[in-house]
Amino acid sequence: MTVTIGGLTLKNPVMTASGTFGYGEEYASSVDINRLGAVVVKGISLKPRKGNPPHRIMETPSGMLNAIGLENPGVDVFLRDKLSFFTQFDVPLIVNIFGDTIEEYAKIADILSSEKRINGLEVNISCPNVKEGGWAFGIDPERSYRVTRAVREATELPVIVKLSPNVTDITVIAESVEKAGADAISLINTVLGMSVDIEKRTPHLGNIVGGLSGPAIKPIALRMVWEVVNKVSIPVIGIGGITSPSDALEFLITGAKAVQVGTANFINPRATVEIIEGIEDYLVTHGIHDVNDIIRTLNVRSTV
Amino acid sequence: MLSLEFPGSFGRPLPGQFLMIRIKGSIDPLLGRPFSVYSYEKKGERVHIEVLYKVVGVGTRHLSQVRRGAVLEAYGPFGKTFEIMEHVEKIVLIAGGIGVAPVTYLASHNHDTIPQEFRSEVICYFGVTSAKRLIGIEKLKNYCTELHISSDDGSVGYHGSVIQLFESDKERFESEKTILCVCGPRIMLQKLSNLEGIEKFRCYVFMEERMACGRGACLGCAVMVRDITGEVAFRRVCTDGPVFDLREIVWDYRI
Repeated sequence: MTVTIGGLTLKNPVMTASGTFGYGEEYASSVDINRLGAVVVKGISLKPRKGNPPHRIMETPSGMLNAIGLENPGVDVFLRDKLSFFTQFDVPLIVNIFGDTIEEYAKIADILSSEKRINGLEVNISCPNVKEGGWAFGIDPERSYRVTRAVREATELPVIVKLSPNVTDITVIAESVEKAGADAISLINTVLGMSVDIEKRTPHLGNIVGGLSGPAIKPIALRMVWEVVNKVSIPVIGIGGITSPSDALEFLITGAKAVQVGTANFINPRATVEIIEGIEDYLVTHGIHDVNDIIRTLNVRSTV
Repeated sequence: MLSLEFPGSFGRPLPGQFLMIRIKGSIDPLLGRPFSVYSYEKKGERVHIEVLYKVVGVGTRHLSQVRRGAVLEAYGPFGKTFEIMEHVEKIVLIAGGIGVAPVTYLASHNHDTIPQEFRSEVICYFGVTSAKRLIGIEKLKNYCTELHISSDDGSVGYHGSVIQLFESDKERFESEKTILCVCGPRIMLQKLSNLEGIEKFRCYVFMEERMACGRGACLGCAVMVRDITGEVAFRRVCTDGPVFDLREIVWDYRI
């Protein structure tokens, strides 16, 4: 079940998605963290961020909107209070990072790089809830290039860049970050969405607009993974509505080298482990010995 | 009312705690919904928990259509526990509508864990919109020294809101000798916080907010508070609450 991504060796292709697994402690009683391919913790910025006012979430058909607002304790508190939880596990730890300016991205990459326990960085250029900084970078190939380049130059750690689906052509952004030196690309982040209370005549979210996640976005995510794997050579990590082993397999067959499980953790804290076991079962029943033998094995009749 | 049966290993919920309940395998509705514990009983090898709820949306509507014998998924107990640790002369409970559920559980826990000679007087104020919404008093009155009812439409008890009812009676309570525990709609809690002199009382409110994970990871259930430095901050209802000091809560988000 081993896969390698940008120099990182994962015991299986299943990771947790940033923002859905906290900093690990919240799920430790439900899941053996050592069984996971990797853990991606909630996004960290240089300074603490309070996040958005209520309401921050709203369920929608087969999914949910979130406008958390990137609430996080900031890098200093993360290093002081949250990182030590992982010393007891040998799972690869990837820290999601974001900033308001390119300099902040580089600075936080630099700070985190001197921590031995951290095995990789995931660069959030795509969060749709930020009014400045993140929102602007992810939709622009030139700025995506510059952010990736700045992080690349600030660290020796594997750099994964997480893309936004809220763009006209995600492959343009993907090619741009590959050129800038990303070791891998993860996609997709949440899809911009909205929901309205018809009695109060107000948006359901305090921020009005939020990011949609969950089963509803899986077809969008899968399609984008398909488009990106056909354009870049670096590994692609698939994210978006994966709740079952068969969902994960759809992404692997389409070309993702690994997957991230996010919203599913809310409804089933053991989702990650069940998905790992389900992939293993699939390999056994199909007589396949190495998960890499199913990655990018999609049969298409016409050329794209 | 939802009556659930659990394996005996399911942890005993304490007052303040809640369960995340969903229909197994459901994608739509997707998320579990949080429900305060209304009652708990260990019957041999099984645990029986009751949850009292109102149909307010998609999730609760689906739950209300579930039939006897159905298998649901429930996670928990979640939330910081809340117990009244000091002996006070009077405990005042104020419940609005479905808020009667956690307030009743608190009262029953208090009653069961404190020996008779140390029990406080428990004065309950329970407000409903109308008489047909009156549920739960049979259980609640077992734990109250006094029980006063109010209804918005005057069909039962005092005609007015439960906060107006409490306000008309509050002069008899001495703030150092009383603890208030309150649960109800946000508007009710906000009205309580605006009552003259209320800040002198120790007053605890059971808050609620939309939840996704229920366990502190997603940061969805934020409530705005003023922390000890006077700064505005957000706390998680599922992990830092659901019970908060009334005086901490910031009601107006426009800051």
